[in-house]
Amino acid sequence: MRIAVAGKGGSGKTTLAATLARLFARQGHSVLAVDGDSNPNLGVSLGLAAAEAASWPTLPKDLLVELAQPDGTRNTGLSMAVADIADRYGVVAPDGVRLLVMGRVAHAGAG
Amino acid sequence: MCRVHATVRGLLGEIVAGAQDVAVVDMEAGLEHLSRGTVRHVDTVLAVLEPYYRSLETGARVVELARELGIARVLVVVNKVRDDADRRALEEFCRGRALPLAAVIPHDPCVLDADRAGGSLLDQAPESPSVTAIRDLAEQLVGASGISPREGA
Repeated sequence: MRIAVAGKGGSGKTTLAATLARLFARQGHSVLAVDGDSNPNLGVSLGLAAAEAASWPTLPKDLLVELAQPDGTRNTGLSMAVADIADRYGVVAPDGVRLLVMGRVAHAGAG
Repeated sequence: MCRVHATVRGLLGEIVAGAQDVAVVDMEAGLEHLSRGTVRHVDTVLAVLEPYYRSLETGARVVELARELGIARVLVVVNKVRDDADRRALEEFCRGRALPLAAVIPHDPCVLDADRAGGSLLDQAPESPSVTAIRDLAEQLVGASGISPREGA
């Protein structure tokens, strides 16, 4: 199940996304929580300490690569499996939810 | 759109596509991510709205865009609902626009308290009205998707 939580700022979407993620994890699911917001605060809503946020790993831009296909065409893909990305760059939140913060990519370099 | 932003969106799509079991994405506020197709790999979109007309209108647009992208389940969640009058009005709006209303979350001071304390609503107010409504939604989503918890969990 892959859920996108959409809405205006202030609608409560972050609180909803965080609470759902933790409830799914409590049911025994392996849950990846992804903060796609440019103003990231999903981690805090999941129960992580805001003071620690600066130490959360940054997703490198080069995770996204162009892959040559056998037929000569190219498409974009990941340079490592999502499970490995979660292990390496994910922050472990309460109930075992893995958090990835996308917004940090944008701050990782100029462009 | 700048190149870095495009990279973020491409990366987000690929990560969601490759996620095992359950992925929950807190999308950037606004509609751009939907119109640009970032969410094409998700199977469920929850449009979170507030019970006033402009917010509901935005929600109708989110639902329309998500459907255009071919997303299997597009559901409306109305948050911060104060009373029965709110509830009747939003139900009427959803019926009139054929919006699939999945959950109504009551206005709940516990949410602001948790936010002010800088922590998780679930930890700080596990039995609050809002958490109760979100728990019902979680069960509804899992039930409809047919997924089961992993072995030994």
